Amino acid sequence: MKPILLLLMLFPLLGGLFSALFGRRVSRWTVERVACAGVILSFIMALIAFDSSGGKHQIITFFTWFQVADFSVLMDVRFDPLAAFMALTVTFVSSLIHIYSVGYMKHDEGYVRYFCYLNLFVFSMLVITLADNLVFLFLGWEGVGFCSYGLIGFWYKDMKNASAGRKAFLLTRIGDVAFGIAIGLFFLIFNSLSITYINGHADILTPGTMTLFGLLLLWAAAGKSAQLPLSVWLPDAMAGPTPVSALIHAATMVTAGVYLLMRLFPVFSGSATAMAFIAVAGTLTAFYGACAALMQGDIKRVLAYSTISQLGYMFLAVGAGNITAGMFHLVTHAFFKALLFLAAGCVIHALHEEQNIFRMGKKLRLALPGVYWPFLAGAAALSALPPTAGFFSKDEILISTFLHAGIFYKFLWFIAILTAALTALYTFRLFFIVFTGESLYYEEESEKSVEKPPPNMIATLWPLGVLAIFAGLLNLPAGWGGGGWLSEYFLNIPGAAHHGEIPHSVENGMAIASAVIGIFGIICAWFLYGPKGLLRRPDLPGAWGGLFDLLREAFYLDWLYRRYIAWPFEKMADILWNRVDREGIDRGLYSFANTFMLFSQILREWTSGRLSGYLFMLFMGLTVILCLLAINFSIL
Amino acid sequence: MAVYGQVILLGMMLFVIGGACVLIRRNLIMILIGVEIMLNAAGIVFIAASLRWGALDGQAFVIFIMAVAAAEVAVGLALIVYCQGRSGSINADTYNTLKG
Repeated sequence: MKPILLLLMLFPLLGGLFSALFGRRVSRWTVERVACAGVILSFIMALIAFDSSGGKHQIITFFTWFQVADFSVLMDVRFDPLAAFMALTVTFVSSLIHIYSVGYMKHDEGYVRYFCYLNLFVFSMLVITLADNLVFLFLGWEGVGFCSYGLIGFWYKDMKNASAGRKAFLLTRIGDVAFGIAIGLFFLIFNSLSITYINGHADILTPGTMTLFGLLLLWAAAGKSAQLPLSVWLPDAMAGPTPVSALIHAATMVTAGVYLLMRLFPVFSGSATAMAFIAVAGTLTAFYGACAALMQGDIKRVLAYSTISQLGYMFLAVGAGNITAGMFHLVTHAFFKALLFLAAGCVIHALHEEQNIFRMGKKLRLALPGVYWPFLAGAAALSALPPTAGFFSKDEILISTFLHAGIFYKFLWFIAILTAALTALYTFRLFFIVFTGESLYYEEESEKSVEKPPPNMIATLWPLGVLAIFAGLLNLPAGWGGGGWLSEYFLNIPGAAHHGEIPHSVENGMAIASAVIGIFGIICAWFLYGPKGLLRRPDLPGAWGGLFDLLREAFYLDWLYRRYIAWPFEKMADILWNRVDREGIDRGLYSFANTFMLFSQILREWTSGRLSGYLFMLFMGLTVILCLLAINFSIL
Repeated sequence: MAVYGQVILLGMMLFVIGGACVLIRRNLIMILIGVEIMLNAAGIVFIAASLRWGALDGQAFVIFIMAVAAAEVAVGLALIVYCQGRSGSINADTYNTLKG
């Protein structure tokens, strides 16, 4: 088991190192193949490990990273069902996206850098997934942050992309501060940083400490998973190449925050306050993301806001105490969102870097049936239409929210189901505008031809499309004739115990309700945004302009941060720079130096550059010395 | 005895004349000649002192001084020729790039 897990993590690392060290010396073909091989081999290792672990958990130590007195950090992994499942998802989606990237980055000069970052990203993500020691986990946590930064600003020659990367990096660092504090507190209380040990001894925590840990971890996770109030970096992160958006900013890295909460679930599950906070953050973010997605005109931004919204559902699942449902949704979301992003990448590629959805239309459906059908599957899964994967995973979250004790959770459930309707609405708005009807800018469009993406890009869509529809079989509820395999598999995970029997009436009622709501959303979308839709335009008519701006700018969150956090900061920096540094310290030093300059002005007159002048002074000096010697001599 | 004092006086006068030549003339060749005069003034004083005290060391010194002076003139003249070739002038005031 140990060599398999070691290889699982090492293959992507070696691939990344190969690109970094020898990438410029070998051919493009080699770099692409090595990068893909690193991840695919890792996927195979994950399959073997998954198969041989048999649902038990084991802790394997590779070596000691460093040790100070009784504080030691081990490079060790905790391979339990949760980690096994996450590792499978990560490596599988990454493998497909690596293959896709070979086609997408065909004409890009920076392919060495690209594949190096992508491989290192997979390695860091696997560290997060498997690590048992929190400091080791933090290594991966920062590693994915760095790779994300490098890939968002991949086309760094455009200032906008570079600052989007910086923004993502800074905002996720805000979350990391909380994570750092939490790690320090864990060591203080448990005298150990092993997740296994902490989860096993979580019952020594007082309710107050549990709440504190819950809030700290929520804050840390909100940074990574783009939840309110740290959500603003994700839409800007779409500046990176589309496969990167699919892999990092939809399928894997952004789920690291949720995964951390699931990993340390026992630490805060005893605190109702912390759970309520997590649920509220998730619900609000889900609603916020869905509203904002409704008015975006850029295909990738719609999907970015939708990612924020879906991550909110996962937080809600954790907050409702059902991490199986959260993990289930995480996995299905990874499939269908990666699919949607990759399909969007094909569309963008086909229209020569066009991202405005109003410049697309039915010609895409006619020219690219291989993209149209997978996109439809992804859209159906995102809208939670039965019997797609998204339907079952979202349904499970809704049920556990509904059944959670307290009227408060009923309210959250109501918002969540409202959001489900919005989700169907914005998803099919996107679908109808992109694939049906005429482009709004027909004249300009006519000379642009639709370029067929390379076959390896299209080919990667199909496995994801199949999974987007059938991944629901992983955890089919009893009412649908399934055994709930995932729930059984996760039984051993701390905190994932069964929540008692779900009444059949609730289960059936919820399934019908969400199906009806999803279909209702799609029908609305057809009438509003279909080929002859009322609102098929980039803005809202007349009096609704204010609402349009509000949603388009995502409730002005960016503007608020710029106005009330960034601007005072810039102002303060400006004062410190201009007033204190330049006019205070620098000026003081300059006047000090000028005093010496004044003296040296007098002295420099002596160096006339005339040889005879120097010699004259030499003689004078010599004469004086000789005279002194003569006087001394005569006195003696 | 009296001759010794007079030779010292001659040496002093030659030394001052040579020094004045070095200080006042701008021509590099004349400065070199001034230096030679000063060296020879020192040599004369050495010889006088050697005769006065009957010690041969002084005369040996003069031979060394002559040898050094010959070598110095050779190097000095070569430098002057190089200066002439480089900037077309042997006026000492032309070389003032170290002016503050």
